[in-house]
Amino acid sequence: MAQVLLKNVCKRYGEVTAVRDVSLAIEDRQFCVLVGPSGCGKTTTLRMIAGLEDITEGEIWVGERVVNYVHPKDRDIAMVFQNYALYPHMTVEENMGFGLRVRRFPKDEIKQRTDEAAGVLDIMQYLDRTPRELSGGQKQRVAVGRAIVRKPKVFLFDEPLSNLDAKLRVQMRAQLKKLHERLQTTIVYVTHDQVEAMTLGDIIVVMKDGVIQQVGEPLTVYDNPCNRFVAGFIGTPPMNFIEVTVRRSGGAVVLDEGGFSVTLPPVLAAKAAAYDGKPATLGIRPEHIHDKATYTGAANAGNTVEAGVDVVELLGNEKHLHLAAGSSMFVAVVDAHIAAHAGRKLPVVFDMDKVHLFDKETENAVF
Amino acid sequence: MADAPTSGQSVSPDPVSPSPASEAVRARKNILWRKTNVGYLFLLPNISGFMLFTLIPVVVSLGLSLFSWDILQPARFVGLQNFVELFKDRDFWRYLWNTVYLMAGIPINMLIALLVAMLINRKLPGIIAYRTIYFTPVISPMVAVAMLWRLILNGDTGLLNATIRMVQSSVKGFLTGIAGWFQGSFVSDALVGLANIAATRPPNWLGDPAWSKPALILTGMWGFGYSMLLYLAALQSIPDDLYEAARIDGASAWTQFWKITWPMLSFVNFFIIIMSVIGGFQAFGIQYVMTQGGPAGSTTTIVYYIYRNAFEWFKMGYASAIAWVLFGIIFALTIIQWNMRKRMGEYF
Amino acid sequence: MADTNMMRRLKRRKMLRQAANLVLLYGGMTALAVILIIPFLWTLSTSLKHPAEVFAFPPRFIPQQIHWRNYADAWMRVPFGRYFINSIIVSCSVTLGQVFTSALAAFAFARLDFPGRNKLFLGYLGTMMIPGQVTMIPVFIVCKQLNLIDTYAALILPGLFSAYGTFMLRQFFLTIPKDLEEAAIIDGLNYWQIFTHVIVPLSKPALFTLGTFVFLGAWNDFMWPLIVTNADSMKTLPVGLAAFQGQYSTDWTLLMAGSVIVLTPVLLLYIVNQRFITKGFVMSGLKG
Repeated sequence: MAQVLLKNVCKRYGEVTAVRDVSLAIEDRQFCVLVGPSGCGKTTTLRMIAGLEDITEGEIWVGERVVNYVHPKDRDIAMVFQNYALYPHMTVEENMGFGLRVRRFPKDEIKQRTDEAAGVLDIMQYLDRTPRELSGGQKQRVAVGRAIVRKPKVFLFDEPLSNLDAKLRVQMRAQLKKLHERLQTTIVYVTHDQVEAMTLGDIIVVMKDGVIQQVGEPLTVYDNPCNRFVAGFIGTPPMNFIEVTVRRSGGAVVLDEGGFSVTLPPVLAAKAAAYDGKPATLGIRPEHIHDKATYTGAANAGNTVEAGVDVVELLGNEKHLHLAAGSSMFVAVVDAHIAAHAGRKLPVVFDMDKVHLFDKETENAVF
Repeated sequence: MADAPTSGQSVSPDPVSPSPASEAVRARKNILWRKTNVGYLFLLPNISGFMLFTLIPVVVSLGLSLFSWDILQPARFVGLQNFVELFKDRDFWRYLWNTVYLMAGIPINMLIALLVAMLINRKLPGIIAYRTIYFTPVISPMVAVAMLWRLILNGDTGLLNATIRMVQSSVKGFLTGIAGWFQGSFVSDALVGLANIAATRPPNWLGDPAWSKPALILTGMWGFGYSMLLYLAALQSIPDDLYEAARIDGASAWTQFWKITWPMLSFVNFFIIIMSVIGGFQAFGIQYVMTQGGPAGSTTTIVYYIYRNAFEWFKMGYASAIAWVLFGIIFALTIIQWNMRKRMGEYF
Repeated sequence: MADTNMMRRLKRRKMLRQAANLVLLYGGMTALAVILIIPFLWTLSTSLKHPAEVFAFPPRFIPQQIHWRNYADAWMRVPFGRYFINSIIVSCSVTLGQVFTSALAAFAFARLDFPGRNKLFLGYLGTMMIPGQVTMIPVFIVCKQLNLIDTYAALILPGLFSAYGTFMLRQFFLTIPKDLEEAAIIDGLNYWQIFTHVIVPLSKPALFTLGTFVFLGAWNDFMWPLIVTNADSMKTLPVGLAAFQGQYSTDWTLLMAGSVIVLTPVLLLYIVNQRFITKGFVMSGLKG
């Protein structure tokens, strides 16, 4: 039985449709991440689950019942906000216990739950401070603590790490992951940061313009994006897109950029055959473009490209090479010690087994 | 997943626990009821006041202006007669003139306010103390202000006239003394003549119909603090780099004022004028306390006239008619102000 | 060598000039401040004089003998004590009432959704344009018919509602971050609890500023109490003082003592809160 179920959910504000026909089943104890650019509808969807927005069409189930018209406080959910939303005039302890106090839980149970949550989040020493005296990371932990004491069926997170600085974000990510393992509760998490999505989610839901683009495990979505948007959104640095024409040449299928061409391996060639003569988009991830000189695999005319180096970015552990070939620009991620200089030529090898092809009109992935 | 009933389907109700369908329907009604009515509940105290003390009286007042009523006897419908009478009422026009005359103090006040604002628009220690002092007259109760100025403006030996006479006598003594050196010549005569002019009796401010309005204007000058604050806020919102760029370009202080400061103040200027004029039309208290509208009606304002008609002579209908004419004037001015504010909104 | 000497001389000259400017500036500002304060000082000084001294020529600021009796007389005889109490009762009631009703209404307009909300709010804004002179006659008539003349009800009730206060607080409430209320909703608070536990504690400065304004306005209010009170025992301080002037028009020492009594609470309130008050006045002006 799915813990959270969305059936054809729509949200309209007058003329504008923010969420369009979203259907999603989130299993019990799953960490589900809704990810996408600003305005894609992920936050609206989350707020509809929480009950902070009305549902224009469709049904939302939490546990065993429809919650469309159930008050947020009765939905058995808890929410962590981007700006923490801590009551400024109450101490940490009071903040965490407030929801329980309102529900008239006995005092000792409140204390017990609060202490337990504080222990888990390592904020015991802040219990009698006010939010003003805490740092961003500490406040965020208090916000999480407030959600934990409620022991809800589902945790909802609305971009909780967006307001933290980069270093803190990395720390908190790890903590959240550990927390999930410890709590064993369903989590629905919204973020625009695909790194958070990849590292935290059991399943990720990529959304754009109110529509779900793809649902799946992170690695699946990474390796097999179903359309150009997902392919370009997930992964850093983003996938390279090169406009090509598909051509049959002899028994092989070739992707012709105009300035250079690469040959598809037989498995993929079969799938691309239908596009003979048509334009398409070639997608290849930066880490699948290798320096020919140090490439250990087979390099031949079918997968080698003579590129010119435009910019070299040294990151310490790797180099990002901005290359140009034909009339296309693309980025390769190589080992930091590869010799490459701006303005010079560098032959590179495309790993053709890992290549993707996208239909030019529909932008769906052919493979 | 198992088939679950949607909120629209009908399911035979379980006598023990409500079916999901009806529960959902009830939940929906609950939430909708709450959403609509909570707002009204919160609004209730305020709205009842609004109805009772603003909305209904406005309508009633409009109606009243078409009647003639002195409370004791039943009201008599007279249609627009009150307004016609008002048009022919010489006192009305006189008092309207008084009201407008008193607004002559507005530009004077604005000038003082602007100069002082520019003076104290700096980050110096103790500046706030000065600002506080300059604003104090504004928050003082009108009655106290009126009475103390009545004391000061007393015709014979009120503080103002006493001070003037002391200055006069020293000036006279000085001029007469110098005249003594040039004894016999025309210079001496001229100086003595000047000395005599300097010694003319200062006016009986509140007792002389010709001087009563200027006296009130003088009193009003004491309260420049409000406009001063507005100017201060506006001056502080002008970015410093405009002035710095001008200085580098070689502009003099005078040019800087006219080309930078003055245009940026146009909104505040306009606002102060409109608010002061609207306030000026509603002037009443000071005149009531200081001069009782006199001497000889020289300081009676429109609102004072409304007051007397309504609460001294009990001509309710007539008073309402005057009030509505006043409202019309103020309304027109306020509309202008709102429109200007909307247009000027780009700057703020 | 010659350069450094010249530099030193130029620097000294500049510093002298700046010092001179500063002296002029402070001198001018102080002179102006003194001129503005003189009327207040004169009030105080007159209130402590013997009646014969009031118009002595040349005028003196320090009375020959300090007559504290004037205050006792004013308090008992006039009776300013009674007026003072009336003013306190009326001003405090109006302040508490108006701030409370305005806050409730402002919350409704800012955060609650109900049909007709925006139109109603525009209506409120519209009433801010209506001068009090239009409504005072009918309200007076109603009070008279209901026999409320010379009662606290007539003095207090009309002041309990204010479109301006509602407007100001609504603008302020709109700036409170919404997610705090949403967290409260999820925590299970109803709207009343959200109002008392979230909105009010966060609005203390705004509520306080509004309260100060309302108090000042109610304390200084002249026209309405004038209209609605005849009996001496019900007059508020401003009206009582003015009426007293009619009766004892030459008893300046008592009049000035009365003025000091009217002025003192206001000045105290002002000095303590001057930053709030001046800021509030400016905001009400520019943002209105």
